[in-house]
Amino acid sequence: MEKITVEHLSKAFGQAGVLKDVSFSVNDGEFLSILGPSGCGKTTILRILIGLETADAGRIVMDGRDITSAPSAQRRMGIVFQNYALFENMTVLKNVTYALLNSATSKKQYSKAEAAAKAKEMLELVGLSEHLDKKPRQLSGGQQQRVAIARTLALKPDVILFDEPMSALDVDTRLTLRTELKELQKRFGTTMIYITHDQEEAFAMSDRIMVMDSGLIHQLDTPQNIIDHPADDYVERFVIKNINTKINSLIQFARVSKAGVEAEDAK
Amino acid sequence: MTRTGFAIKKWTPSTALKVFLCLFWLVAIILPLASMLSTMASVDVLGVMQTRKFSKALSQSLAVSLTATLISVCLAGLLSWAVVRTRIRHKTIFNTLLTVPMLIPSISHGMGLIIILGANGWLSKIMGLQAGIYGFWGIVIGSVMYSFPVAYLMLYDVLRYEDGTPYEAAEVMGLSAKDKLFAITLPYLRKPLISVVFATFTMIITDYGVPLMVGGKYMTLPVMMYQDVIGMLDFGKGSVIGMILLVPALIACILDMINRDKGNASFVGKPYGIKNNVLRDNVARLCCMVVILLVFLPIGSFAVLGFVKKYPIDMTLSLENIAQTVNMGAMRYLRNSLVIAVTVSLLGTALAVVNAYMTARNKTKLSYVLHLMSITSLAIPGLVLGLSYVMFFKSTPIYGTFAMLFLVNSMHFFSSPYLMAYNTFGKINENLEDVGATMGISRWKVVRDVLLPQSVGTIMEMMSYFFVNCMMTISAVSFLANVGNKPIALMITQFEGQMQLECAAFVSLIILTVNVAMKYVVFVIKRAIAK
Repeated sequence: MEKITVEHLSKAFGQAGVLKDVSFSVNDGEFLSILGPSGCGKTTILRILIGLETADAGRIVMDGRDITSAPSAQRRMGIVFQNYALFENMTVLKNVTYALLNSATSKKQYSKAEAAAKAKEMLELVGLSEHLDKKPRQLSGGQQQRVAIARTLALKPDVILFDEPMSALDVDTRLTLRTELKELQKRFGTTMIYITHDQEEAFAMSDRIMVMDSGLIHQLDTPQNIIDHPADDYVERFVIKNINTKINSLIQFARVSKAGVEAEDAK
Repeated sequence: MTRTGFAIKKWTPSTALKVFLCLFWLVAIILPLASMLSTMASVDVLGVMQTRKFSKALSQSLAVSLTATLISVCLAGLLSWAVVRTRIRHKTIFNTLLTVPMLIPSISHGMGLIIILGANGWLSKIMGLQAGIYGFWGIVIGSVMYSFPVAYLMLYDVLRYEDGTPYEAAEVMGLSAKDKLFAITLPYLRKPLISVVFATFTMIITDYGVPLMVGGKYMTLPVMMYQDVIGMLDFGKGSVIGMILLVPALIACILDMINRDKGNASFVGKPYGIKNNVLRDNVARLCCMVVILLVFLPIGSFAVLGFVKKYPIDMTLSLENIAQTVNMGAMRYLRNSLVIAVTVSLLGTALAVVNAYMTARNKTKLSYVLHLMSITSLAIPGLVLGLSYVMFFKSTPIYGTFAMLFLVNSMHFFSSPYLMAYNTFGKINENLEDVGATMGISRWKVVRDVLLPQSVGTIMEMMSYFFVNCMMTISAVSFLANVGNKPIALMITQFEGQMQLECAAFVSLIILTVNVAMKYVVFVIKRAIAK
């Protein structure tokens, strides 16, 4: 079932067309990655979807309702930014509690005690129960991103948008967070739209991938289908070759390591 | 990633606020300035500029300003190196003591100099200087004392935030100290140094406090402007001089804008690594201590002078000067000053915060216009602003009231606190309001609960800046104050005219005490917040 349908979306900043008549749909409970290089328009799609930017033309329909002009807060969407956007003056617990007590969608649902309990529950879910009283600056990048995810999940949005959330994190943390994010998605059944320029990340996590460049969609399909049947030269070059290069590097690395170990053993 | 708000096509509350603020700047800065400049239409500008008195004042102004700027910037460079690039202990104390001169009016520096090196100065007697240090060198020394702390603070920041990585690379490459100086340090310092030189030069050439006190017959442009306007009510001639004084300030402002943008783009990868070097540290410590001693000589001298009977004839301890100063209304004028300083620190800070928010975190094309208007006051010397206000507001109901002084001081000192807020807001996570919007938390709530609490330190510094400067300014207010709202700093010029140095010294001491107290309160609050 389609959760979001985007029809003929266009956006230009000055003379530069950032999105050129883009149409696609996202299924309910799906993990969709939007993959493309910097400046391809993927972040602009995200900001238009959540209502932080207005499209020049086009329509967005969510659950059969036209939300093209709806205010951000009425779209039942949450967003996780690359730079976390945490409230630095508040503790980890307060970050989530504050959102629960002040958000337009949840503020009348909780008393202060209930909000704190709910916040603790969400932070426990992302493995941060030990850090409730710390300020964000006392946490690692990965932990800060978990706070941002917990804060977004606590408000129970129907769709969560991720704007390159792992770009600033180290490889180990990224791998762990990927798994955790997929588990959270399964648990809550939330539709997730994930912006990335990292092919490996997109292929590891997504149900479907939308490959973009210069404001245009080149292909929207499952990871397997993209590998088997790339839609055009761009997809072939940007996605397949990149992945192959990474795989070849890994094979090369494994060979060198193996040769090294064998040489050591021979000694 | 893409930033919010390029061209806002509909009329939003934030656009309305920006338009309102632009109109405010129009009335508070642009129109008064235009009013002053338009006065020149009825003046024989060339005639004024071709008089011998004018050309002499201009050349003398340039001579003292260039000399004092050179000395001031060199001294500031040496001291900032001594504090930032060495391993001397108690850097905070050195830093605080070196900036104490920023807490007293320029005229007090001139007065301190007279007590030491005037015709009857105690050091003049020891050194056998009968004529005293009036004229060129008096102004130069006084101006250096008044301006070097500002140059020092600017260079201190520049050196403190220099990236240490190129030095590490140079170390690996085996570059000598001389090569590092020419290949890394000097190219890095070039642009900020131009800013510092122009800011210091502007500060000195537009000041009338020091030359009024120690200039003797050596006339400079600001003193001429002050005397023409205050003494002879010759507003036309004052306007011509005002226009000349605008030039260096305008250049300084433009250079500052260019270099500031560049500065914001820089990224400190790693702090500069300071090696162990006992000799270097001892030299640096000695430099700091000698300068601190020189700075505190005049301050200490006028602190003592306030409590002696008649300097230098009768040096017995006495409270007569204090009584006389109080009798002449010092407490009333102090109250005026406190009312002005507190009100301006509250209103000015509030206005600067709103302006900076609209320019740093709500970026549209209009924000750029507002930003330019907000930093305009950086290019207007106090005397020029004061005269502009006389021209523009003299027929309005607020002329002669406290409101006039609140407004002129808020505008006069606006740019620096505004830039403090602008830089702080610019550094805070750019997505906060976006996150709030997606959660349905209003922009105002995000500002109140998240942005402002993160900026408390800066806001305290802004309030302190307005307060301290209002307490000691004698420039713009000198044209606008009357008996009813006169600030205490203007008593110094009054006592100077009456040759009552002891009373002037006591007034300077009051200002210094209030400002030190204010700085201490801010320090305590900031420390409590940090904890």
